[in-house]
Amino acid sequence: MNAKQILRERARALARREKSAAIQGATIEVLEFRLAQERYAIECRWIQEVHSLKDVTAVPCTPPFLVGIVNVRGRILAVLDLKKFLDLPSPGITDLHCIILVRRNDCEVGILADVIVGVRSISVDDLQLSLPTLTGVRSECIRGVTAESVVVLDLERIFSDPRIIVHEEVEA
Amino acid sequence: MKWSVGTKLGTGFGVVLVVFLIVGAVSYYSTTQLIAASDLRKHTYDVLARLNEMLSSLQEVEMARRGYLLTGDESYLDPYGSALPKIDKELQEVKRLTADNPRQQQRLDVLSSLVSERVALTKETIELRRSGNAEAALQIVKTGKGKSLLDAIRKAVNDIESDELETLQKWTNEADNNGIRTKWTIALGTVFAIFLAAIAALLITRNIARPLQGLTTAARQITTGDLNIKISSNGRGDEVGVLANSFGQMAQSLRTVANSASQIAGGDLSVVVTPQSPDDALGNAFAGMSQSLRQQIRDLIEGANVLGSAASEIVASTTQLASSASETATAVSETTTTVEEVRQTAEVANQKARNVADSAQKAAQASAGGRKSTEDLTAGMRRIRRQMEGIAENMVALSERSQTIGEIIATVEDLAAQSNLLAVNAAIEAAKAGEHGKGFTVVAQEVKSLAEQSRQATNQVRTILNDIQKATTAAVMATEQGSKAVEAGEQQVGNAAATIQLLTGNVSEAAQAATQIATSSQQQLVGTEQVAGAMESIKQASVQNVASAKQLESAARNVDQLGQSIKQMVARYRI
Repeated sequence: MNAKQILRERARALARREKSAAIQGATIEVLEFRLAQERYAIECRWIQEVHSLKDVTAVPCTPPFLVGIVNVRGRILAVLDLKKFLDLPSPGITDLHCIILVRRNDCEVGILADVIVGVRSISVDDLQLSLPTLTGVRSECIRGVTAESVVVLDLERIFSDPRIIVHEEVEA
Repeated sequence: MKWSVGTKLGTGFGVVLVVFLIVGAVSYYSTTQLIAASDLRKHTYDVLARLNEMLSSLQEVEMARRGYLLTGDESYLDPYGSALPKIDKELQEVKRLTADNPRQQQRLDVLSSLVSERVALTKETIELRRSGNAEAALQIVKTGKGKSLLDAIRKAVNDIESDELETLQKWTNEADNNGIRTKWTIALGTVFAIFLAAIAALLITRNIARPLQGLTTAARQITTGDLNIKISSNGRGDEVGVLANSFGQMAQSLRTVANSASQIAGGDLSVVVTPQSPDDALGNAFAGMSQSLRQQIRDLIEGANVLGSAASEIVASTTQLASSASETATAVSETTTTVEEVRQTAEVANQKARNVADSAQKAAQASAGGRKSTEDLTAGMRRIRRQMEGIAENMVALSERSQTIGEIIATVEDLAAQSNLLAVNAAIEAAKAGEHGKGFTVVAQEVKSLAEQSRQATNQVRTILNDIQKATTAAVMATEQGSKAVEAGEQQVGNAAATIQLLTGNVSEAAQAATQIATSSQQQLVGTEQVAGAMESIKQASVQNVASAKQLESAARNVDQLGQSIKQMVARYRI
């Protein structure tokens, strides 16, 4: 076999894989980001846009996972820190952080992300369901884990979590 | 025969002595008689001589009378006067000599009366002549009375003489007979005595000398140490028998002692020697000897044991000594080698010291040149300082410029981040658009890629700028320090100039010191060589020591073997 043949076969193989990926059934578009060196992803259908974090105004008498509120093109949005929610270590907030604006029904909030990686498509079949080792909040909020160990968050559940409802009263 | 030896000897000698006594008595008797006869002869001849003297005196008187009568000369009467007393005296003497013979006395009385008569006649004649009556006197002579008187006198004298001679003859004969008898008696008696003495000697010899000779032989045997002798008294009860018995007992006792001695000699000291009597000097001495021998052997055994153990210890010690000596020899040998190395080192050091001295001389010359160089150096330092100041100004300017670049980079970075977010938003929008947004997705991807590239580029630029800033900061610092260092250097150069001046002095002192060191090192080398020689001698001595220690060890081994031999020897004794 000469080099040309090898190269040809290799090209053919690559072409086949491409074809099979296309053939694969259901795929979902997700936005991948990082939280405390772990890779997380959110489905694009929830996401409005991403925005750099600027001028966060802290709101008193709120739970720790509520970083504050921001003004994005005239809209006042609450910013959640999923690290607190998922019990991950948080070294602090800098200008380099971004917020992902998500919308569910009429509720629109910003989710704090350390680094935005980018949009990608994931095969639903590749998703493995929640790992048995995960417990508590982590197991409840996760839709699945890909082969590259990207955790796909289930925003529906997060929004339906009772803890996320902030209702505190502070006596004056 | 129960006579004692003394009795026997006395009897033998007594018989011979009696015979000799008899012979002697006979001889004495006859000799006495011979002496008596001889005396008698002398007596007889004396009497005869005096009678003749008396007769001649009488004739002288007669002749004097006749002369006077014829001549009338008074001088003729001189003999007359002297002869008269002589005649009387001779007569008295003869009378005294023949006093034992009455017959002769009688005749002498007659003779004396005749002589008196004759003398009276003569005196009368002479008186007549003197008175001048010569005729009367002549008459008287003519009568012949004088002549007859004289004849009578002669006759009487002859009688006396013959009587004396007869008596003499008789005595002489008797004495002769006696002499002959005596001669025979002596001869026979002597022979008899010799004969008796011979018999006695023979008997005594047979009876006494022979047994004594046997005893003497036995005694000689004992003297030579031969105790196997047999002595019998033959039942004799005299001194010889007693002597033989005693001799036999003595030999028996000696044999007993000799047996004990041979047992002791054989090593059996358990023999108990019993003295024959309290005065038994040999037995007592032997008992004491065996006692003391036992004691001594006991002491000897203890001594041998002590000697054996001591010899073993000595062997151990000498072995240790020998090994120590060998170790010492090895050590000394190593030391000698070391000293030799030290000597070589000293030689090298000496060489080096000389080199150092030469170098110090050169250094002294060089330091003189060094002083001049420091002056040039001072001028050079001053120029360097001016240039350093210029460099510092340039560096400050450079630092300000890089600061500006940093600001520009920050801006670009911000732009890249915003582009990235924009691309992501575009991608999200494209995803929402579904199939219609596919193409837009690619565009968004490209934009994102560009944003990423610009971010990376700015990162690189920032990294480089950081490096530049660090480098410039370091350079500024270095320049500052350089300026300070140059100032310090200038000062130090001044100090160095002073120091070099000092150094020049010191170097010349050091050159002198190095020369002295070289000399000292030479002396040290000589000393070290002496030490090396001494160590060589010590090494030889140590080798000899080792040899001596080896000899000592072998000697100690011999002593040890000797101790073991003595132990074995002593072990043979039974106490």
